[in-house]
Amino acid sequence: MTIDNLRSPDLAARPATAAAPAVTAGSDLLRLDDLHISVHHGAATAIRGISLTVQPGEIVGLVGESGSGKTLTCRAALGVLPDGCTIDQGSLSFAGHDLTTLSRRGWEGVHGRLMGAVFQDPASYLNPSITVGHQLAEVLRVKLGLSRRAARQRSIELFTSVGLNHPEHVFHQIPAELSGGMLQRVMIAIAISCDPQLLVADEATTALDVTIQAEVIELLRRLRAERGLAVLFVSHDLAVVAELCDRVVVFYAGEVVESGPAREIIERPRHPYTQALLRVASVGDFRRRELQVIGGQPPQVGEHITGCRFAGRCPAAAAVCRSGPIAPVTVDDQHEVRCVRAQEAWTAGELAAR
Amino acid sequence: MTVTSMPRAAGADQPRRAPARGAAPRRRRSRIIVSRLGGGLAVLVPIVLISTFITYSLGALSNSNPAATILGQDAATPAAVARLNHALGLDHPLIVQYWNWLTQAAHGNLGRSYFTQIPVAQSIAQRLPVDLSIAVLAVILAAVIGGGAGMIAAIRRGGWFDRGVTVACSAASTLPAFVVGIILVVLFAVTAHLLPANGYVGPSTSIAQWLAHIILPSLALSLAVSADIARQLRTSLVEVLEQNYIVGARVRGLPYRRILVRHALRNAAGPALTILGNDFPLMLAGAVAAEAVFSLPGLGQLLLQSAQTRDIPVVQGLLLVISCFVIVVNLIVNTTLNWLYRANDGIGT
Amino acid sequence: MKRLIGPQSALRLPSARIAIVVLLGIAVLTAFGSTLAPQNPLTINANALFQGPGAHHLLGTDYLGRDVLSRLMAGTRLSVLTALEAVGIGLVLGTGPGIATVFLGRWFDFAANRVTDALMTLPYVFFAVAVTAALGNGLVQAMVPVGILLAPFFFRVTRAATLEHARAQYVEAAELMGASKLHVVRVHVLRKVLPTIAVTTASMAAAALLAVSFLTFLGIGVQPPAPTWGGVLSSDLAYLAQAPWAPFIPGALIAVTVGALNALADAFRDRRGAGTLAAQPDPIIRTHSTLEPADDDRQSQVA
Repeated sequence: MTIDNLRSPDLAARPATAAAPAVTAGSDLLRLDDLHISVHHGAATAIRGISLTVQPGEIVGLVGESGSGKTLTCRAALGVLPDGCTIDQGSLSFAGHDLTTLSRRGWEGVHGRLMGAVFQDPASYLNPSITVGHQLAEVLRVKLGLSRRAARQRSIELFTSVGLNHPEHVFHQIPAELSGGMLQRVMIAIAISCDPQLLVADEATTALDVTIQAEVIELLRRLRAERGLAVLFVSHDLAVVAELCDRVVVFYAGEVVESGPAREIIERPRHPYTQALLRVASVGDFRRRELQVIGGQPPQVGEHITGCRFAGRCPAAAAVCRSGPIAPVTVDDQHEVRCVRAQEAWTAGELAAR
Repeated sequence: MTVTSMPRAAGADQPRRAPARGAAPRRRRSRIIVSRLGGGLAVLVPIVLISTFITYSLGALSNSNPAATILGQDAATPAAVARLNHALGLDHPLIVQYWNWLTQAAHGNLGRSYFTQIPVAQSIAQRLPVDLSIAVLAVILAAVIGGGAGMIAAIRRGGWFDRGVTVACSAASTLPAFVVGIILVVLFAVTAHLLPANGYVGPSTSIAQWLAHIILPSLALSLAVSADIARQLRTSLVEVLEQNYIVGARVRGLPYRRILVRHALRNAAGPALTILGNDFPLMLAGAVAAEAVFSLPGLGQLLLQSAQTRDIPVVQGLLLVISCFVIVVNLIVNTTLNWLYRANDGIGT
Repeated sequence: MKRLIGPQSALRLPSARIAIVVLLGIAVLTAFGSTLAPQNPLTINANALFQGPGAHHLLGTDYLGRDVLSRLMAGTRLSVLTALEAVGIGLVLGTGPGIATVFLGRWFDFAANRVTDALMTLPYVFFAVAVTAALGNGLVQAMVPVGILLAPFFFRVTRAATLEHARAQYVEAAELMGASKLHVVRVHVLRKVLPTIAVTTASMAAAALLAVSFLTFLGIGVQPPAPTWGGVLSSDLAYLAQAPWAPFIPGALIAVTVGALNALADAFRDRRGAGTLAAQPDPIIRTHSTLEPADDDRQSQVA
C-alpha cells in the first residue's frame, strides 16, 4: 500500500466505532525503527537510533531528562518536526503503513483520525483569538463533515466526557479565560474528537498541579478503557509514568537506554541511569532519604562519544564502557538494557551501598 | 461510542474568571465591542474639533482681505468692505466664526467660493468621485498586491520570491507616488499605448473606460502602501506561523490551506490592517500626485487652484472633508480590528 | 523598541557606507551646487531641445534646451535646505514634548497624545498647499506645516523611548538617591534616547525631501524659471512624447537621495534576518486603536 493510500477509506476514513481493519490485535500500532533525527539543518544528530513500539490500547511511557529527545521523537511520530529537523535514517510506521516520507496532505488524513496529540502548554497550542468551542467544532466539521449544529452538540458532549464543568459556557470561552487544567481537558477533547487510535501526550501533565495531574491521568486511563485508546505518554517524571503506563521506555541523550514492562523497570531497573532516575523520583524500592540529584551534565546534542553516552555520569563506569558502541541486551522477556553490566543482578540494597 | 460523564472536578479546576454577571460570553463580548466603539468615538470628537480648528484658523491667519479681493480694487471702499465683512461674518472673533462655520458645516453648508459663488460643498461633491474611485481601487490593489506578496513571502521565507519581495519593497519605499505615476505613464501609455495617459471618464459613461482611466493612478498610489503591507504582513505572518497553535492545528488534521487562512492570516492581519489605516493620509497625498500626473479633475486640483486664487472657503472646506475622510477610515480600521480580535483582548476583565 | 547598534558597527555595513558617500555628495551640491554647475541653469538654447545625455550635456537638455545636470545641481540647495527646515521644526516640536510628557503627569500626556492623533490625521500636501494660500506662495512657508506634521512622529518615538528608559530601575535608583528629575533626564535618559532620535531624524529627512520634491513638482513655492528637483520632473512630464526617458533622471536623483537616508536609518537599527525583510517586533496581535497613544515607533512613512 502506498503512502497516500492512508487517506483511503479502509484506514483514514474508517468507521468511528470498529477498530480499523488494517489493525490486527497484537500487531504494532506505532513503530519507530532505528530512527535518526538531525537538528539545525543537519548540523547535529539529536536522535540516534530510537526504536520503540506502541500496541493498540497500550499506554507506553517515555521518560528521560529534558533534552534527551523525547519531545523530538514525539514530533517525529506526529509528522510535525520543527524547521531544520529531518529524519535521516530509520522508519516510522503506523499500523504497518510507512509514514517516514508521508506528504503533508497524507499527514492531514493521519492527524485527528489515527493520531491525536496533547502538549505540555495547552494554552499555546490553542488559537488565542478563537473560542475553544469553535476550535473543537471546526475539527468536527472539517474532519467528520458534521453540520454546524451537530458539531456544536457533539462538542458539548465531548467537553462533558472529558470532565469539563459547564460545557455550554466553556464552549464560548477563549483560551485566556480558562485554567491550565481546563485547557488540557479541551486539548484532550479535540485530540479524541475524531476517535483516533493513538494519543501522543507530550509532557501533558507536567505543568499542572498535583490534583489536576491526577485527574488528567485518570481521564487518560478511562479513555483507554472505554475506547481502547493507545497512549504514548511522555514525561520526565518517572513516578507519574510508573502509575499510568504498561511499558516504559527510558531515553538518555537521544538513545533508548532501557525499555520494558513498567513493573519490571520500576522493580528491577538494570541501567544505572534508570536507577538514578528512580532514586530521584523516589518510587519503587528507592524510598526518599534525602533530595537526590543525578550528578553531572548530559552530553551536548551532537557531541561525539565513543561507547556509552552515560559513562561520564555513571557511578559504575569502566574502561569497557568507553571502548565502543554498546548494543542493547535482552535481559528478560521484553526487557532490554543498553549496558555492559546489564546481566548483573543488582539489588536495591547493593545500589544504595555504592 | 458512549459518552459518559466523568465525576466533575471540584474546586481546583474552576474557570479562572467566574462567569461574569451571568451574561453569556458571546453577548458580553459584543457589548464590549459596542462600548469600545463608543470609546473610539469619544476619542474622535476632540480630534475632529482640534483638526477642524487648525483648518479654520489657517484661513483667519491669512493676511488676505477677502472682502477687498471680492469687491475688486475699484469698489473696495472702507464702508463697502465693512459691510461685506459683516455679511460674511468676518467681523466676529475667531472662535465665534469657527463655531458658526462648524455648525454650518455640520449641516452640509461649507459656504461659497469668494469668486465663483458656487457652494463649496457642491464643487467638492462634484470632484469627490474621482478621488474616491482611485482611492478605493488603490486600497483594493494595495491589499491584494501587498497582502499577496507578504503572504507568499512569509510562507516561502528565505526563497527567491521572499528575496524579490524584499528588494521590491525597499525600492518602492524610496519611489514617491508621482515618480511611480510618471514611470507607469511612460511604460503603459507613451511606450506601449495600452492605457490612456490622462483624463477621467465617469463610471456612468463607461465602466471599461472608467477603469482604464483610474487603473494607472490607483496603481501609482498603491505601490508604497503595498510595500508597507507586504513588509508588515510578512513579519507578523512569519511570527504567527512559528506559534505552537499552528502545530496544534496541524496535529488536529486540519487542511494546511485552512490553517493558513483561518488561523494564521486572521491573527497576522491586524498589524497590516493598522498600516492600511495609518497610511491612508499618505494615500491622499498620493491621490493629489496622481491627479497632477494624470490630469484628473479631483480634489487636489481644486485645492491647487483655490490656493493660487486664495479662495479661503474652498480651501477650508477641502481640508475639513479630507480630515473627516481620514478619521472615518481610521474608525473603520479600528472597528475591524476590534471585531477581528474581539475574543483576544482582555474580555471579561 | 528596535534595538540600536553603535555607530561604528553600523558603518561597517556596505549599505551605510554607500549612503554616507551619496549624502556627502548631496551636501557638496547643497553648498556649492550653483557654482559647480557646468552651465548656467537658466540659459535657453533653441538649437538643443530634448537632447539625450551626451558629451556636451551629460544629462541632456529640457524643452527649452537648458542643461538638466546644471538645473538639478543648482536646484539642490533649495530642496535640501527646506527639507532640513521641516525636519528642524518637527524635531523641536516633537522631541521636547516627547521627553517632557513622561515627567509632566498623565493629563499633559493625555492632551499631548490627543493633539498628536489629530495632527496625524492631517495629510501634509493639503496643509502645505493651504498654508501657501494663507501665507503666500513660498517654499519656506509651505514647509512649516510639513514640519509641524512631522512632529507627531518625533513625539511618539521619543515618548516611547523615554518611557522605556524612565521606568528603568537605574533611573528609579537615581531618583531615590535624591537626583532631581531634570538631572535624571539630562544625564540618564537623554543619552539613551539620542540614538533613537537620530534614526528618526534620518527617516524624517527622507520624508521631508519627498515632500519638498512633491511640492515643487506641483509648482508650490517656486516661480517657474528657478530650478528645483520636482520642477525639472514636472516640466519633463509635459513632454513625455518627445523625451520619454527624461523624467527618470530627476526621479532617480530623488529616489537615490531618499534611499540613502532610509538606508542610513536602517543601518542604525538592528535588523534581524539580514537579506530578507526586516523583522519588526510588532506584537502578533496589536489591538490598540491607532487613535490611542501607541508606543510604537513607526517612522518610515509620513503623510
